[in-house]
Amino acid sequence: MSARSTALRGIFGHPVSGYDQRSGMLLLAPMMAVLLVVAVFPVVYSFWISLFDLKLTRPHRVPFVGFDNYVKVFHDALFWSSVGRTAMFTVMAVSAIMLIALLMALLLNEQFRGRRFLSAMLLVPWAIPYVANGLMWKWIYDSGYGALNGLLYQLDFIDKYMVWLGDTRKTLPLIANAFVWKEVPLATILLLVTMKSIPADLYSAAKVDGADVWRRFFHVTLPALRPGFTLVMIYETMMAVRHFDLFFILTEGGPAEASHVVAWEVYVESFRRLSFGTGSALAYIMALVTFLLAFSIIRTMGRKL
Amino acid sequence: MSVAFARVGRPALLFVASVLFLGYVLAPIAWMVSSSFQPESEITSVPPHWIPHAPTAENFRAIFTTGEQAVTYETRRQGDPATGHFIPSTAKNLLPSMGNSLIVALAVVVLNLIVSVPAAYAMAKIRFIGRSTSVYFMLTTRVIPDIALVVPFFLFIHKLGLLDNLWSLIITYLAITVPFSVFILVGYFESLPDELDKAARVDGCSRLQALLRVFLPLALPSLVAVTLFTFLTCWNEFLLALMFTQTPASQTMPIVVASFASDFTISFSFINAAGVLAVVPPVILAIMFERYIVSGLTAGAVKG
Amino acid sequence: MARIRFAGVGKQYPNGFVALDRLDLDIRDREFLVLLGPSGCGKSTTLNMIAGLEDVTEGNLYFDDAVMNAVPPHRRDVAMVFQSYALYPHKSVYENIAFGLRMRKHAPSEIDRRVRDAARKLEIEPLLERRPNQLSGGQRQRVALGRAMVRQPAAFLMDEPLSNLDAALRISMRAELKQLHQTMQTTFVYVTHDQAEALTLADRIVVMREGVVQQTGLPDEIYEQPRNMFVASFLGNPPINFLEGKVRPDGDGVCFERGALSLVLPPHIARKVGSDAGRDVVLGIRPEDVDEHSVPRDGEVLHGRIASVLPVGSDQFLGVEVDGKQLFFRVGKELHHREGENVALSVNVNRLHLFDKASGKTLVW
Repeated sequence: MSARSTALRGIFGHPVSGYDQRSGMLLLAPMMAVLLVVAVFPVVYSFWISLFDLKLTRPHRVPFVGFDNYVKVFHDALFWSSVGRTAMFTVMAVSAIMLIALLMALLLNEQFRGRRFLSAMLLVPWAIPYVANGLMWKWIYDSGYGALNGLLYQLDFIDKYMVWLGDTRKTLPLIANAFVWKEVPLATILLLVTMKSIPADLYSAAKVDGADVWRRFFHVTLPALRPGFTLVMIYETMMAVRHFDLFFILTEGGPAEASHVVAWEVYVESFRRLSFGTGSALAYIMALVTFLLAFSIIRTMGRKL
Repeated sequence: MSVAFARVGRPALLFVASVLFLGYVLAPIAWMVSSSFQPESEITSVPPHWIPHAPTAENFRAIFTTGEQAVTYETRRQGDPATGHFIPSTAKNLLPSMGNSLIVALAVVVLNLIVSVPAAYAMAKIRFIGRSTSVYFMLTTRVIPDIALVVPFFLFIHKLGLLDNLWSLIITYLAITVPFSVFILVGYFESLPDELDKAARVDGCSRLQALLRVFLPLALPSLVAVTLFTFLTCWNEFLLALMFTQTPASQTMPIVVASFASDFTISFSFINAAGVLAVVPPVILAIMFERYIVSGLTAGAVKG
Repeated sequence: MARIRFAGVGKQYPNGFVALDRLDLDIRDREFLVLLGPSGCGKSTTLNMIAGLEDVTEGNLYFDDAVMNAVPPHRRDVAMVFQSYALYPHKSVYENIAFGLRMRKHAPSEIDRRVRDAARKLEIEPLLERRPNQLSGGQRQRVALGRAMVRQPAAFLMDEPLSNLDAALRISMRAELKQLHQTMQTTFVYVTHDQAEALTLADRIVVMREGVVQQTGLPDEIYEQPRNMFVASFLGNPPINFLEGKVRPDGDGVCFERGALSLVLPPHIARKVGSDAGRDVVLGIRPEDVDEHSVPRDGEVLHGRIASVLPVGSDQFLGVEVDGKQLFFRVGKELHHREGENVALSVNVNRLHLFDKASGKTLVW
């Protein structure tokens, strides 16, 4: 036997026993297979499709167009207005989510009777499907018989029923409200978990230093929550940018494009106008932007840490 | 903080906050439930009846009875003549679609566990070439939005002729759920002591046996959390199901429910009933397994 | 299996850190071998390699002439006791102990017999149905021992198993382990950083530092004839005193000189260093090798000023300042000392140690 042992060396010279290498790769194999087929393949394939002018209306003539589809998208005014609407929706939604989740997490962080019940109830909005959520709010926003109208009417805030979703100025905020309502529980849990990991000693030290409730909140709680805020912001931003379901159920991109966001545009382009080439290009742009957004958030928040 | 506040002020503040909390969280759903028990005539009252004056279960009956109700002038007039709202014949599709959703969700849960658990164990406990690469790879796939999957998958499945098949959904849903499951499980496995793994291997376990006989029983909370997340994701998923299913035979619950919404003539009380049914299973599951959700998330989530 | 042999075994991590530097070690059948050293010296790495939990990056590991480098742990016939016991939390004590036997497919009746046998020997029979979290530290440690015992392996590996116990329990467990070794007549390989433990338990000690073996030998050899300053200072509590100085021929003999201090070196040392006059050396005096009752003789006495007096039950420690250096000595309690006093201590020159200042190696053995 040579002095150089029988152990394998990885490409980085990392010593690994044959057995560990084999078992590691074997255990990993199913996941890699699934991900390759189901995650990598579509991404690659969709990029490929985006280079062609593929229209399902004439499936047999598929010319190669290179990056023309992307150029077309960038020149499309509807695309840019969609981007604007997506941005507005995201900003509204994410800010509301962070604020409400923070308040809820603060409440749930206290010890009191019935807290378990509250946190169990918190999960209800999170568990229901978006379609049900959509239906529920559609009914509440209904201009003829909806609960929103009814409530405001009974409280004398309005003297007759109004149009809600159909009012282009109100569409986006109303959809955002429905989205926020369903996303708040998860954000609350994430913040709560971060809150619970703040060592009690920090508060004790602050108290001894003479800090009152507000000071403790601003100087101990908020800074310590930064990783939680970052996580929530990344996750919810990604969710908001790509959200589709509510736009389908509530408004189908209307009225008059008021809720025509990028996700909706991808759907319409691919499955109503049946232009898969441009649809893929759009989807790709969206994926890239989501990616970049997540990165930039990590960067900015991370640096402040 | 004065003693007086602690004794009186704080509980009062908490009470008010709790009421607001519960109101925000539950009121919309409560309203949906209430609406589902109101007959058509009541549901169209202005202002609305917050609590049904004459509760009825006819909406639910329509869903549960399997008889084909032919749409004739008579049956149309059974609905409110003023609004023309009526209960559609497709109501009977709701239950079978829930069955489809259930099949898909269960299949995905099982496959997900088979795929994710060994992978998570390997990534957490075994040192091998390609380990860190696979971790990064797994994390990147989490970022892919569903939209990006739709077109390529549609074309591919269409070519294979699997368009109306539940399997297309099952495979696709695996794509969405596996990265998240692996992420959670790896976090949890990493928190289990290394020495247990070593003891098991010296005791005679191969890697797989160590996983099955020692780590799996200890990872129960995160397994439950992962199962729950996977199940809910599959049950609630809409966009992909919309793309891949054409006929009621394979449609999942969200599609059928959504189809009610787009038809302007359908009774709102019926829609609410459909919504309630769609909501009941996931809510029950979530409440039952509430504590696993938090503990299963904590190990991995905040590390981000 | 009778022998475990390391032939030029090394372990290097990808970042370049060398945990073990070409280890050559021959562990004999049935001996109680202790790997002793400070943290990071490579002792645990060596133990893990025997178990197969860490890979050999250089050289070969033999169990009885069979190369074991590529054999995974579950196919080796060794049992291990961990510092944290590593008991399976979800299994009962009985199942914990039986687990290894079950994995190796022994008959249930055989398993039952062995488990109860071991439980009786370790006096944990009443605990068999309990869970680990219901046991005390000492009890858990016995269960861990039991788990290893029932396997009747070719070698027992122990990684600082007593570190987590309180002092009294530690001492009594040492005796039990020694007895266990006698009864089982199997090879024990034991890792510790506690030199007293090593001296009590070992048939042979291997002293390690930063991946390199410093000295291998019987406990007495290591204590009385340390090969370098590190080994001399690692064994013995309180540690050996070091004094730097020079050797100088003095008439027929040689003596050690430092400032006003001059000590005659005994013949067996003088013989070895005689020719190197003026050489820089380090003198080693163990705290117990002085005496204040004998009549001080020229060339065999230390003068100093008492800096501290520490009574320790049966004796007292004196912190003595000698020529600017603080030394510690152990003397009896008969004489009463006070800080600031001058004291003269007779040195047992036959027990002096001498080291080369530059290399730290012994000049004597």
